[in-house]
Amino acid sequence: MSASSRLSLGRLALNGAAGLALLYILLPLVFVTWLAFFRQEIPSFPPEGYSVKWFTAAANNQPFINGFLLSLQVGVAATLLGLLVGVPASLALVRHRIVLGPLFNTLLLLPLVMPGIVLGTAIYVFQIETEIATGLPVMGSQGGLIGAHTLVVIPWVVRLVTASLVGFDRTIEEAAQNLGAGPFTTFRRVTLPSIRPGIVAAGLFGFVTSFGNLEMSLFLVGPGRTTLPIAILQYLEWKIDPTVAAASLIQIVLIAVAMIVTDRYVKLSRVV
Amino acid sequence: MSTAPEPVAGARTGLAGLLVMPATLFVAIGLLGPIAILFRYSLNQFIPGQFMVDGLTIENYVKFFTDAYYLNVLARTVKVAVICTVACLIMGFPLAYVLARTQSRFKNLLIISVVLPLFVGNAVRAAGWMTAFGSRGALNASLMGLGVIDQPLEIMYTENAVLIGIIAVNLPFMVLTLQSVIEGIPRNVEEAAFSLGAGPAAMFRRVLWPLALPGILAGTILTFILAMNAYATPVLLGGPKFQMMGPLVYGQFAQQNNWPFGGAISFILMTATIVLTVAAHLIVQRRYR
Repeated sequence: MSASSRLSLGRLALNGAAGLALLYILLPLVFVTWLAFFRQEIPSFPPEGYSVKWFTAAANNQPFINGFLLSLQVGVAATLLGLLVGVPASLALVRHRIVLGPLFNTLLLLPLVMPGIVLGTAIYVFQIETEIATGLPVMGSQGGLIGAHTLVVIPWVVRLVTASLVGFDRTIEEAAQNLGAGPFTTFRRVTLPSIRPGIVAAGLFGFVTSFGNLEMSLFLVGPGRTTLPIAILQYLEWKIDPTVAAASLIQIVLIAVAMIVTDRYVKLSRVV
Repeated sequence: MSTAPEPVAGARTGLAGLLVMPATLFVAIGLLGPIAILFRYSLNQFIPGQFMVDGLTIENYVKFFTDAYYLNVLARTVKVAVICTVACLIMGFPLAYVLARTQSRFKNLLIISVVLPLFVGNAVRAAGWMTAFGSRGALNASLMGLGVIDQPLEIMYTENAVLIGIIAVNLPFMVLTLQSVIEGIPRNVEEAAFSLGAGPAAMFRRVLWPLALPGILAGTILTFILAMNAYATPVLLGGPKFQMMGPLVYGQFAQQNNWPFGGAISFILMTATIVLTVAAHLIVQRRYR
């Protein structure tokens, strides 16, 4: 065998191994999608036929609807809050030599690597103590949930906005100021438009992270008030059928659309 | 009248501090505060019937490390985490390499297919495996249809199901971490190795692996932490008998209402996380200063 054919054989094996790994990652989503279109309720293969009736069933399932609405509200609120505090922080961290800057940066990214179970238990006991100290009904409240979700949104904002600032040419800002623009005008007319892709990506990633959060939220939801991932988990602990698969598929499609939209603004391969 | 151009960084550090403070305070209070309280709780006593009693005792930690049941759960969790991490590294490297080196116009689509499952959530992905692994699920039905087996395999509620599930959950993290590091390695060094007569295996072992080592360590740590803390996958695919640390913590909080002991277990998990992360950072820094 010649050297070049051996090399192309190696390339084939490499691509094959890569393809298998990708298939393995996507396989569970393929099965969920398949099950969502079964005609019969029991997930036995091969299916007796296909139907779209389970999407109606999922859309009429009260826990799923309530979970979806709560996840949506919490996700939007947490994303907005995360952007509100995260964007200025990223600007300051990239632009200025702040005392302890690297430490702040590490701290802001910390919630991303903190295991969800630990975050959930820690925030749960924090809410107990806050409720005891202030008398406010924090535990199981929507506000408490939003606060916790903001915590996991902030790292994404800092990470993505920082990344979009790194390639930014500061001389453009100096030019604007030479031409008479004040600091605020410079920010609004020059800086903001050029980091907008980063902010959009941060918003979408933050939202998706919040929307899909399971482990942390598990400790923070109140009775009769659950997020969509928890509603799906609780349903699955009881049984698996096409209804829950249909609900999952709706979620998969929404997230896929969000990601493809994000990718138009910021190449995902550069930020994740 | 025009404002004077802003002087170089340094003059406005007061403003910069003001910008960075809200987020930093939020994370400091919302993350470090809770962890401090959790630690304090783990030193309290739990007396059945009386709930939590303020105290200063290490009995919760002693209870964990002296009870064979809990030690078994910890050992099983570590075992699962190690197997999953090694499997993720072996399966993830080829995919990460191909993604990093590809010139394909579908590169972004490939990246999205790796990232999408991450955001879909663990419960949904576990649902996919539940569909496949049931006694009349896709896997058993195909194997029986092909005549490979007569009786359906018992996969659901076994360690294998949990392993398959967690590897699938963690593989994207490993792939993305490795990919970003491999992209930073110039292709020239690979070509130089080849032109000097190295075969693919020698090139991998002597060039690619050492250069990618920081990424390999980062990915390994990340997947290990995630596997140690897995919750939805062991609950749904392992069932109630297959206990791991994550579900154990949740059970102590939600079912037993034993906050001190739950806090101690949670703290043991987190300490393992931090110790591993710091240790790996030190190793990487020492090698690549």
